[in-house]
Amino acid sequence: MIAVDYLVVAIVAGLAAIERKGFLQAMLSRPVALAPLTGLALGDPYAGLMLGPPLELLWLGAVNLGAALPPHEALGAAAITGGAVLAGRALGTGVTPAVAAVTVALVAALAVLGRGTDRLIEEWNVHLARRAEALVERDAPRAAVRANLYGLLLPFAVSFVLAPMGAAAAAWLVPPFLRWLPDATVPLAYAWAALGGFAAAAGARAFRSQRGLPLFASAAALTAVLGTLAGAWP
Amino acid sequence: MSRPTARLPRATLLRVFWRCLFLQAAWNRRGMQNLGFAYAIDPALRRLYPDPVRRREALRRHLCTFNCHPYTAAAILGGAIHHEERVAAGDEASGAPLEYKQVLQGPMAAVGDGFFWAGLRPLSGAAAAVGTLALGWPALVAALLAYNALHLWMRWSLFRSGYRSGDAVVERVAGLQLPRWARHLRDAGALLAGAGAGLLALRAASGVGVAAGAGTLAAAAWGWMALSRGARLLPSAYAALALGVAVALGLAFLRGGP
Repeated sequence: MIAVDYLVVAIVAGLAAIERKGFLQAMLSRPVALAPLTGLALGDPYAGLMLGPPLELLWLGAVNLGAALPPHEALGAAAITGGAVLAGRALGTGVTPAVAAVTVALVAALAVLGRGTDRLIEEWNVHLARRAEALVERDAPRAAVRANLYGLLLPFAVSFVLAPMGAAAAAWLVPPFLRWLPDATVPLAYAWAALGGFAAAAGARAFRSQRGLPLFASAAALTAVLGTLAGAWP
Repeated sequence: MSRPTARLPRATLLRVFWRCLFLQAAWNRRGMQNLGFAYAIDPALRRLYPDPVRRREALRRHLCTFNCHPYTAAAILGGAIHHEERVAAGDEASGAPLEYKQVLQGPMAAVGDGFFWAGLRPLSGAAAAVGTLALGWPALVAALLAYNALHLWMRWSLFRSGYRSGDAVVERVAGLQLPRWARHLRDAGALLAGAGAGLLALRAASGVGVAAGAGTLAAAAWGWMALSRGARLLPSAYAALALGVAVALGLAFLRGGP
């Protein structure tokens, strides 16, 4: 079953990498959608629903403006969700805030690595463009334009390989760590809570609104107060 | 610049539109979206130029460097077909489609980046995140459906408008006042992110304790300050995790527990 789980993470991450830039761009590879999809594919959609919102807010500014490359938020989200679900399953607790916090700490850097691989892929695609130009000159126009689709292969392959590696690192390291330090559960839950707050601030900053700070602060305060009055805050 | 009759059948236009969803499949540092553009427009060129030599010439001009926002590029793709029809009919010089692309790609990229990438899509992401926190998966599905209904409709409308009106697509896009909308979307996004901070605090308070909820709000304030002073995202996220642990340990120490 474990090999199948990693294969599932690999396929979901690979398809997300294609959707992210090469095809459609319909937000299915955004963390808020991809985390629940990865969780669903692994049999735990609720873990994805827990992880998706803070990861989305954290990487809300990860957009491909011009030739600038953002962190590979899809790779990060798929690996974090896969790793957290598998680690939670190994612990028998499911994805708790402590599991989520340690998994993010362990795997989030994959998003930066993914940006590096994106750059290499764009360099590699120059070969495809040259090949297409040569095929046009050799009077093979159909083959020339079809070269565009070959550009989907490398992004798929890179995420297909890296996402299960990240998930495996979490699945192997997080359970022994939390068993070794059982008292860390509460501090790590605080860490997850702090990450959520930071992610929301990062999300708000991503909008670059001139009135961002008052809007962000007032909405946060109002939501907390109304939630408290409604009984959501004990 | 009027166009007497539409030459291309709807099926061909639909094929071109479908292919324009692959515009960035082989984005490269040399020609950027050139391969994607050539791939997308190819069904139209095949129809317009039965002569292989003319078709090859047309394809060659669409393999020149091109870069635009992937959604608003649909308008340029439609407009390029409009000009190719005129070239095929002998009404325009063969350089007209290329000139059209070169003139429009920059402004259209700016409009698309500002409205979609810096406004609508992050706003939809924030709405999906806040909706998921407040209402669960139905809100997530609703946010994604709403975004995609709007974005696909706009892509198709821009493509059709470019095809029908050619150069006049600029006035149509200007009439949409997307930069003005983008400003409102950015304000709404900051508001939604704030609501997200509040909901995450409530969730932490109910799951871990009131102090954790307060810690979420404090981390949000700290995060805003750190990022506005130029702190990098991922190192700051690690710092937030560490701060959360430190606060919990400090509280445990003050309470005299482990």
